[in-house]
Amino acid sequence: MTAKGAATERVRVWDLPTRLSHWTIVVLFGVCWWTAETDHMEWHLMAGYGVLGAVLFRLAWGFCGGQTARFGSFVRGPSATFRYVRKLFGRGADDSPAPLGHNPLGAMSILVMLGLLLLQTLFGLFSVSVDGVFSGPLAKWVSFETGRRFTHLHAANFDLLLLVIAVHLSAIGFYRFGRKESLVPAMIHGFKSRTPSREVPYFVPWWRAAFLAAGILLCVALLVNVRW
Amino acid sequence: MSPISIGSGIRRRILLIGSVLVIGAACTAGATGLPQIIHARQNHFRMLGRIAKSLRDQVGRSHPNWRIVANDANRIERLASALPSWFPAGSGKGHGVKTRARAAIWANPQAFTLAARTLLDRARYLGQAADGHDLRALRLRTRGLGQACDSCHRRFRARGSWW
Repeated sequence: MTAKGAATERVRVWDLPTRLSHWTIVVLFGVCWWTAETDHMEWHLMAGYGVLGAVLFRLAWGFCGGQTARFGSFVRGPSATFRYVRKLFGRGADDSPAPLGHNPLGAMSILVMLGLLLLQTLFGLFSVSVDGVFSGPLAKWVSFETGRRFTHLHAANFDLLLLVIAVHLSAIGFYRFGRKESLVPAMIHGFKSRTPSREVPYFVPWWRAAFLAAGILLCVALLVNVRW
Repeated sequence: MSPISIGSGIRRRILLIGSVLVIGAACTAGATGLPQIIHARQNHFRMLGRIAKSLRDQVGRSHPNWRIVANDANRIERLASALPSWFPAGSGKGHGVKTRARAAIWANPQAFTLAARTLLDRARYLGQAADGHDLRALRLRTRGLGQACDSCHRRFRARGSWW
């Protein structure tokens, strides 16, 4: 039962690949941060390759995954986002049901975060460490000075990422305490409670995710070991 | 006042100003010594990084240019042997030049000398791998060199503010 007393049903919202890629990015982002702060650059590179793989997977899954993971199902234009914001603060006349997956604001947050994470890993591929030894696999194509510039961009973009993550966490807190809606458990077990509705999201077979993950793993491994 | 006394007054003033300038210059020279040392140290490290990157670029190739590898290994060894002399006492923070050199370098000189010694050993191993044209050993030794750098940075190099 909800706070208003209406009956609810438990519905699957997030598939396993979406949840796994989300938490993989969370954990590896933390590892990257810690290894950079403590000069464990060898491990930093490994964790960075993991982030690159997870981000590429999530981006590809946004085109071939289940309904709630697809960008086409949750990315909305400015007017829809504006209507959603008005409704969120009780000012809109929009009576459409709450989105089952990402809401329009969350969609914006995801696009920005995935974009910045991809940029972060791309900068990292060309970055050169201060001692010149532990550098990105593509740093061989640039000079030491250019590689160091990439490292500075990598660091500046990291600050931007921290800002976006802070906004993301604040939004989760707002939904939890302001609207009594817990988003984190749903991203762990994949289910949400909602008022009964005929809308049931579709999901795709697991082997599609397995093939995609294997392909991305191969691509990242080739990129890391590129020789000429 | 006679022309002679005017002339001697001017001479005294010139002498006084000259003395002040000479003393000032001497004091300034003393004060800029340490900043220059810090700048020179940073240039040495930049040079070390540039050479290490050149070496790493060769290590990443299927067929490295062994002449470049040997040259880089040799230069790294020479710089590594001189490294402790880049840190004379008092060349830490507080001289108007940004430096990440931690006070631990001078507070615990034995540990720092040992870290520098490790780097020198790793650089010598590099030279041996280069002489033997052993790519597998070279990759291993380059990794060892990087680990020696990281280990030293963890203890003796301050982190930049992440915010």
